[in-house]
Amino acid sequence: MSEYKSEYKVWFGRVYEKDSELEVRKSDDLVQSFEESKSEKLDKIPFSLKEAGIRVFGSEEDYYSSLRRTAIQIAEKEIERELKGSERYLISLLKALDELDLGINLFSEKIRDLEEIKIDENTEKFRRIVRDLKKLRRDIEDEINSGVARSMPNMSEIVGGIIAARLIEKAGSLKRLSSLPASTIQILGAEKSLFKAMSRMKKGKKAKTPKHGIIFQHPFIRTLPKSLRGKMARFLASKLAIAARIDYYSGELKEDLFESVKRKYEEFREKSKAKSRK
Amino acid sequence: MTDVEILKQITHNVFLVRYENREFLVTKSKFKPHYGERKFSDFREWIPYRSKLAAMILNGYTVDFRPEIKILYLGAASGTTVSHLSDILEKGHIYAIEYSARPFKKFLELALERKNIIPLLKDASRPEEYAGIVEEVDFIYQDIAQKNQSEIFAKNAEFFLKKGGGGLIMVKARSIDSVAEPSEVFKRVLSELERSFSIVKYGKLDPYHKDHIFVHVEF
Repeated sequence: MSEYKSEYKVWFGRVYEKDSELEVRKSDDLVQSFEESKSEKLDKIPFSLKEAGIRVFGSEEDYYSSLRRTAIQIAEKEIERELKGSERYLISLLKALDELDLGINLFSEKIRDLEEIKIDENTEKFRRIVRDLKKLRRDIEDEINSGVARSMPNMSEIVGGIIAARLIEKAGSLKRLSSLPASTIQILGAEKSLFKAMSRMKKGKKAKTPKHGIIFQHPFIRTLPKSLRGKMARFLASKLAIAARIDYYSGELKEDLFESVKRKYEEFREKSKAKSRK
Repeated sequence: MTDVEILKQITHNVFLVRYENREFLVTKSKFKPHYGERKFSDFREWIPYRSKLAAMILNGYTVDFRPEIKILYLGAASGTTVSHLSDILEKGHIYAIEYSARPFKKFLELALERKNIIPLLKDASRPEEYAGIVEEVDFIYQDIAQKNQSEIFAKNAEFFLKKGGGGLIMVKARSIDSVAEPSEVFKRVLSELERSFSIVKYGKLDPYHKDHIFVHVEF
């Protein structure tokens, strides 16, 4: 093959630019060339993709039907991979996040201990480690947030990536979470105190069931006075149950879900302010 | 059975019809319903609460899509709007980008029955990833509800939109800035778009979609 100026990876193979001529080579494996195609120079391809393609496919009709067939084949494959992989990946990221928190706390404590005695180069080394760990923690948190936003847009909008991922972890999968009633979602993560209360009740003693589990971490609950938290938790959980189902069955964002949660929170907020003024 | 009465043709294959004493926006279609819309004789109901493009048309603004053009559609989701565009572009093609796998599964059912849709599971903010697949297009439609959506739109226009080509951007105020006044957000988006495009028209999508606007631009 003679010398060429540039090479372009396109979905149907390679295109070589020589002087002002184009040489088009069709790939034997369209699925492979489709997956590998992209602009490496981060630039527009300077020739007509379709015209180059017609040279090897023969006609416009064949060009489009091959393109469509290959695109569909690849989409089917990628959907399978995405749906299977993403939840497990998010859960393992979440575990990494929790372990990082442990590590960061441990090292921070050590730094304080050391500082009390003497500041030397070892404390500086510890500080560097903590800095790096914190950076890693931020990166992982971002990754979880964007992953959840992508595969569970409704839950992500209502409670954010981290809480949504924790709920998935506790339930086992999005599929299982979407089949849980709101009352279970409300106390997910507070099983211990729930069973303690239940066993007391069995013995005929008085007991209170927990108001909230994982979702307590949400600012809409945490920032309310105790007397309203239960109500807010119940409302939030009911919307989350809906969100989980939409996320599992359709995956499209339903815009008014979060709005209703926000309105309820503001209503409670006003109520609590009015009460404290009295 | 009641007949369908055509009240007005809006653009190619898009009509306003009366059926059972109610008015409907419809597209002429030989395909079955895709998202729970009604079908009467040859028409598919185009529900403005589901599709922002339908909301725009019912609010009195129309972009004249010729049946042979090529469109790059960013944010295809499960294909509600794409299904109607596919009815309109009888001789054209739609390159449909969506990055979320779950709605795309539903979308794929649509792509399988319609010959003018090319489905691509890609991230619209990285056009270089599909620069070797998508050809130069006449029009870009964007409905992606992302903070930097005007930047993403401009990037895709650089790669794929021909000079003089058109674009429609659906903007949701809250996904760009959840605390600012919607009118402030819209002003900001419009001035960002003005850097690379001329703005033909913009307007509200109320009452169908709250705090949303459409922006029609030319490259």
